[in-house]
Amino acid sequence: MTVCNFFLQGRCRYGDKCWNEHPRGGRGGDFRGNQQPSRGGYGNRVWINPSQRSGGDYVQQSSFSRDGNNDWSRGGGGGGGGTPRDVKSSDFSFSSQNRFSALASNTPSEKDAQSSTDDVDTIQKDMEVWQTSGQWPFSCYSVLPGKLSGFVEVSPEELRLEYYSGRASGDLQAYMSSVQQLADQWRSRVQELRSMSSSTRISVISELNNPSLQTSTPGSGFGSTASGFGATSSSSSSSSTGFGAAGFGQGSQSSSTFSFAPSKTGFGAASSTQHASGVVSGVLAQSSSGFGCAPAASASSFSFSEPQASSVSVSSFSFRPSPGESSASAVLQSGSSGVFGADTALFSTHTDLTAEELKEFTSKRFTLGQIPLKPPPADLLVL
Amino acid sequence: MSLFGTNTGFGSGGTGVFGNTTTDSHNPMKDVEVTSPPDDSISCLAFSPPTMPGNFLIGGSWANDVRCWEVQDNGQTVPKAQQMHTGPVLDVCWSDDGSKVFTASCDKTAKMWDLNSNQTIQIAQHEGPIRTIHWIKAPNYSCVMTGSWDKTLKFWDTRSPNPMMSLQMPERCYCADVVYPMAVVATAERGLIVYQLENQPSEFRRIESPLKHQHRCVAIFKDKQSKPTGFALGSIEGRVAIHYINPPNPAKDNFTFKCHRSNGTNTATPQDIYAVNAISFHPVHGTLATVGSDGRFSFWDKDARTKLKTSEQLDQPITACCFNNNGNIFAYASSYDWSKGHEYYNPQKKNYIFLRNAAEELKPRNKKW
Repeated sequence: MTVCNFFLQGRCRYGDKCWNEHPRGGRGGDFRGNQQPSRGGYGNRVWINPSQRSGGDYVQQSSFSRDGNNDWSRGGGGGGGGTPRDVKSSDFSFSSQNRFSALASNTPSEKDAQSSTDDVDTIQKDMEVWQTSGQWPFSCYSVLPGKLSGFVEVSPEELRLEYYSGRASGDLQAYMSSVQQLADQWRSRVQELRSMSSSTRISVISELNNPSLQTSTPGSGFGSTASGFGATSSSSSSSSTGFGAAGFGQGSQSSSTFSFAPSKTGFGAASSTQHASGVVSGVLAQSSSGFGCAPAASASSFSFSEPQASSVSVSSFSFRPSPGESSASAVLQSGSSGVFGADTALFSTHTDLTAEELKEFTSKRFTLGQIPLKPPPADLLVL
Repeated sequence: MSLFGTNTGFGSGGTGVFGNTTTDSHNPMKDVEVTSPPDDSISCLAFSPPTMPGNFLIGGSWANDVRCWEVQDNGQTVPKAQQMHTGPVLDVCWSDDGSKVFTASCDKTAKMWDLNSNQTIQIAQHEGPIRTIHWIKAPNYSCVMTGSWDKTLKFWDTRSPNPMMSLQMPERCYCADVVYPMAVVATAERGLIVYQLENQPSEFRRIESPLKHQHRCVAIFKDKQSKPTGFALGSIEGRVAIHYINPPNPAKDNFTFKCHRSNGTNTATPQDIYAVNAISFHPVHGTLATVGSDGRFSFWDKDARTKLKTSEQLDQPITACCFNNNGNIFAYASSYDWSKGHEYYNPQKKNYIFLRNAAEELKPRNKKW
């Protein structure tokens, strides 16, 4: 067997598992490297094969020949070896690996997997990647073992079907506005998790530790939306080149346009959009089962018309307002004028609200635990 | 050994209008283009089983149609027949004897298409769009398995309007695969369920997903004895997890790898991350192919844990792929997958299905000492 160069330097990551020879007497050290903790606080290592470099791309070796036809036996942790392949427990070769470690920008803390602080870090970094990478936004997200709430899961096919249905019925406005809301909600949730205020941190940690509970009070989620949203518009992350998508959000500033790109400033700043989210947060605070903040019962059927989570019909994903089951979240059902019609159902009047609720609305920030369930009065909205 | 030559004559290089050497990026790999492709995005592809002579390719699309082409040995494709649904077709599969094709659609029905008579009849009904359809051939029964967004998995004897069995799932079905006696279904909210199909289908195990994000595609792989032993699961986050059902050493045997991302070595700029739209295993070599929203396909050897090849970037995402029954042909479809929303949808843009000779490129990596 070839002698392991890394071992001779005292830094072989695989230790005993290394396929190259470690001549004794040259022992150096770093056994620590062998413990590749998995990310995201899941000590059980199902997440990433621990003997694999965290963040290691599959021996992609982009620095070498693209065809992967590389001599992957080079370097430490030689990839060769004639171990039987069917159920492979081998490590692979990692020659240039440290170069890749930052590549895995979503593999941040490689330290103690148990600490929830690292979970939180993982979350933050993952959110950052999510924002900048242009990947599909409507996905659930989890840091093992718990699943984080606040994310709505929609597949591209479902969304596309909604578009096609809308197109067939001639009413694309409902689709547009729904997608818009989804996107805004996602953006604010991601930003919230990325900036991780102390209340978010607490709720996140409790979710992770208690996967069965899955409660994040809608209030906290959306109460900080206001600041989250403002922050979003200022966090301009560079738009990815994506799929030929250079000037992404530029063209259309109207609220009906939905942009999947990482948020550009222009987009967030569109006043009508902010109005939207203002309304959205008010409304959503009201229907406690909201969009992603719905606790365990929810998330399954995705329908804009359902305020009360669970029992909605199996035609889960329906943008079109469906009759019945609506409380004052008739907001989303004002099919005719779309969400932002100057509908009186959207907002409450001052007389509708109690004194405390009015106080909450007029104050700068919501107080956790006292967020009103009724929509705000129209004149209090800051546009 | 089919004789897919390198000379395609179809859309290779620029079109006559441009007339120079720049390659038209709709087919940078210069693969054979299938004639008369569907008018809207192709959602699924399936080749005929070995029980039938010749190669027939079925493709379902968002234009509500299912088309059948015969693929000849010289690479020519001949459109043979077409059937329609009233909603976009999301999945297709063949029966084991190659005489019937099953199609699943957003119109909540599944149909059986008898190729000899070119007739279709409806064989299944769900409460929501049917996302996956697979044919199950067991020693003591045969049926069609349909997975739907109404959160149920139903099994249909094609002669009866009522399902033989209906299993409840925790969430909407997003993708599934069947290799008797194992079936895997991946659902929304990172659900992952394995079913065993002996005697009658029943839930075998619910697995904690190895991935953090939405599941997108799943494919079962077999061991050296051709028994299903695990599956590959792809997500929207440019990552595939290889998971064995009963491995000797789960921590070491199961792993994930990243794929379909830009900026391989350049860590300074943020990576673009693309969804893995489909995974297919080569029937002979056991190596796998992944296709993604970035418009590339890649071949991998999961045992050697190495990448075999990555294609050039096409100008559209690749939405579906499959191998033919002897592994000589790799078919992949280039069309929009809605990964960037409706703004990027151009109904005028042509959709393609390409065929590539897969006999050589998917050989497993040689073991080295």
